[in-house]
Amino acid sequence: MAKERLDPEKLLPLTSSVFHILLALSDGDLHGYGIMQEVAEHTGGQIRLGPGTLYGAIKRLLANGLIVETDRRPDAELDDERRRYYRLTDFGRQVLKAEAQRISKLVSVAQRKRLLPKQT
Amino acid sequence: MLLAYPREFRLEYGSEMTQLFRDCHRDVQSDGLVTTLEFWLRMILDVIRTAPVERWDRLGNRTMKNLKSDAIGLLGCVAIIVVALFLLRYGMKHQIAPLLLFGALDAIVAAGVVSNLIIFPLLMATRLSRFRTALWTLLIVHGALLLTAALIGTSDPHFNFPWVFAGYVVSFLFWLTIHWLWSQTKTILTTSH
Repeated sequence: MAKERLDPEKLLPLTSSVFHILLALSDGDLHGYGIMQEVAEHTGGQIRLGPGTLYGAIKRLLANGLIVETDRRPDAELDDERRRYYRLTDFGRQVLKAEAQRISKLVSVAQRKRLLPKQT
Repeated sequence: MLLAYPREFRLEYGSEMTQLFRDCHRDVQSDGLVTTLEFWLRMILDVIRTAPVERWDRLGNRTMKNLKSDAIGLLGCVAIIVVALFLLRYGMKHQIAPLLLFGALDAIVAAGVVSNLIIFPLLMATRLSRFRTALWTLLIVHGALLLTAALIGTSDPHFNFPWVFAGYVVSFLFWLTIHWLWSQTKTILTTSH
């Protein structure tokens, strides 16, 4: 049975781990370890997703149609074990954009209140 | 540590979680003792934080699916107990109920309350077989109540063990039949979907 598509705004605000996972997938398909590494890199090591956090979030993202699992393929860089790759769906990208816009608005408010420097 | 997670979650993501753990452990192995300890602490805290969430999520999903039918079943049992209680009070007040019926109604109320308070939460929290759970719970509860009644009754000269025993047998068969009918109803409802 096809799941009724939600309005992206209805899923906001995203949790920090979900936002970072979607952000990591926005550049292309990744497996779990790849997502974890990408998140650690773009947060400067501040966020390191544990297996439980990562796959709990992946489970929910799959259920809500924000990501899909792609065909398994071997990761030659590390070992021969086949890994499951995940891809951001169009709906997932809409939700990610909506969350980024929400955060951007908050940043604008903080800039107006001089809590953050204004971008020139 | 994976055992902390629900079975379905382990089956679906267990191998990937294990692989991720191995990958991360490989990354920190050469970084010294402090980094390795920090890694282990992070992993343990991750399990502590997320395993209960997954278990609650699973329980909630199953509970929500069965909530309506379980609520109807529970209300039905409560209704039976209330009716039995009224009949018992009526019989006691007017002294018109025969001893067997009196004993059976007494057992139906007492054993019904205790048994169903165990059966319904057990079924909602686990995947045990409906009828078998009811059978064993009723057997144990009736046995325990009968034993208690026998121990208390030895000091009462008017205590009639055969009638009390018969009353508990009737109560056991009564509740077992109710739960059997309920399990058959659920089976029919499930297969018709």
